[in-house]
Amino acid sequence: MNTPRLRLICALVLGLIFVLGLFAGTVSPYPYAKQFREHPNVAPSSTHLLGTDSLGRDLFARVIYGTRVSLLLAPAAALLSTLLAGILGGFAGLLGGWCEKIILAATDLSMALPLLFVLLALRALLPLDISPILSVIATFALLGLLGWPSSLRVVWAATKNLRNSDFLLLARATGCSRRRMIVRHLLPNLRPVLFAQFWISIPVFVLTEATLSMLGLGVIEPLPSWGNLLRGLEDISAVSANPWRLTPLVLLILVVICFQFILPAQEETA
Amino acid sequence: MVGRLLMLAAVCLLGGLLSASLVRFSPGYGVDERELDPRLSQASVEAIRNSHRLNSGLLSYYGHYLSGAVHGDLGSSLWLQRPISALLKERFPVTAKSVLIGVSLAWFVALTLSLAGVFLRGFYFDISTTLISGVFIALPAAVVAIFSVYLRAPVSVAIAVVTFPKLFRYLRNLLNHAYAQPYIMAARARGISRAKILFRHILPLASPTLFALMGVSLAVAFGAAIPIEALCDSPGVGQLAWQAALNRDLPLIMNLTLLVTLITVAANMFANAAHERAM
Repeated sequence: MNTPRLRLICALVLGLIFVLGLFAGTVSPYPYAKQFREHPNVAPSSTHLLGTDSLGRDLFARVIYGTRVSLLLAPAAALLSTLLAGILGGFAGLLGGWCEKIILAATDLSMALPLLFVLLALRALLPLDISPILSVIATFALLGLLGWPSSLRVVWAATKNLRNSDFLLLARATGCSRRRMIVRHLLPNLRPVLFAQFWISIPVFVLTEATLSMLGLGVIEPLPSWGNLLRGLEDISAVSANPWRLTPLVLLILVVICFQFILPAQEETA
Repeated sequence: MVGRLLMLAAVCLLGGLLSASLVRFSPGYGVDERELDPRLSQASVEAIRNSHRLNSGLLSYYGHYLSGAVHGDLGSSLWLQRPISALLKERFPVTAKSVLIGVSLAWFVALTLSLAGVFLRGFYFDISTTLISGVFIALPAAVVAIFSVYLRAPVSVAIAVVTFPKLFRYLRNLLNHAYAQPYIMAARARGISRAKILFRHILPLASPTLFALMGVSLAVAFGAAIPIEALCDSPGVGQLAWQAALNRDLPLIMNLTLLVTLITVAANMFANAAHERAM
């Protein structure tokens, strides 16, 4: 299924959505929190492309700004988790011995903990009435800090394989310094694995943020994200009156499917 | 087996220590609303404060928690003011039933479709199942819960919908890989029946991963139970965890996390032991 043409189409779609999110301030006709109190729940029109929500806020503006929050911060969280996995997995694979055992035991313990339960527990440590910006940072920082264990296992296995490879043995035998070995030989060979883990984490974090925000424990209103925009789906009468309210869901599905098709095949990253 | 039991004990102790640390160092620990009650005398207020001071250190708090847990006392919920063990006794069977039915349903559908895909080898069948599982995998569990409310579907069906796509993708790849083995092609060329190929050759080859997947599917289902029970108003531990998080009831949520962790680890251990016995 992963034909180059399909990947190209998915990359273009993702690129377009990213650009829309990035330039939300220019693309969006109104600020995301602006209320048109005399026009709540109106149908799509030339003034409100996707209609308005129950508080009279322009849905198109909120979707575009929500795209920015969800699609720009999920890669940041993925970068953090991949970085943690890369550093810890790299150390474990390279050094071996007790260091490896301790890191792998910590990874096994973290993998045994159900992510959503731990996220709820850690989120419960913070007050519920924090500012919207802080809620965004807290949500994605928690995702980044807790999402590393499965990536670490992959990075560790790849590093271990590389450590035992012939070319690194030869490099060691010829007196190559550890720093040069890591920078010139190990990291370039680990790059596809790290890239794949980064890419895999993004849709996972987008979906987890959506679930957390729908439960009221993620990004806090009035700041929009795909998660808290999806809370509008709970009102079935409003959705049946204005099906355009499903736009955030359609965008979310489209983005996750595009990420799935773009993901490098296992054999390419091995 | 001894190693696995030690691992389970280590998870219990370390998970418990982690939970105790979070509860002990959370903002507001040791503050009791009863101190604000003007009807209480100074001596009563002092007695309440002393009761909190008794276990103010992390290790003494953890020791107190462990000794209570051994006797079935997991402490009290700050929000509901009820013993946590009683809450678990009430709520856990609801979630366990939904999760077990949901996981069984997801396994049945995923295995049936994967086997049909392997044996039918139809282009349109492959495309349609890929598309359906792709859309399902892209749905957050909370959205599945909302749709299940719209359609009045039981909680277990919603859990199955969340678990199915992840299972299906693994199973399909696994069975396709097994079916492409040279000795299975040779068996097909010799005219051996499909049922015999499936039960004598494919399933034994795939069994280690299938056993591992059973544990993973339980973990996925318990994770999905939180948003599904919360939004479907099902009185299970998932809903309890959500309400505990909203009410900042850390002792309750940490106990729930520990319980689900233990179930997941025990399920994985059981799956590994069953796999070794099968080998």
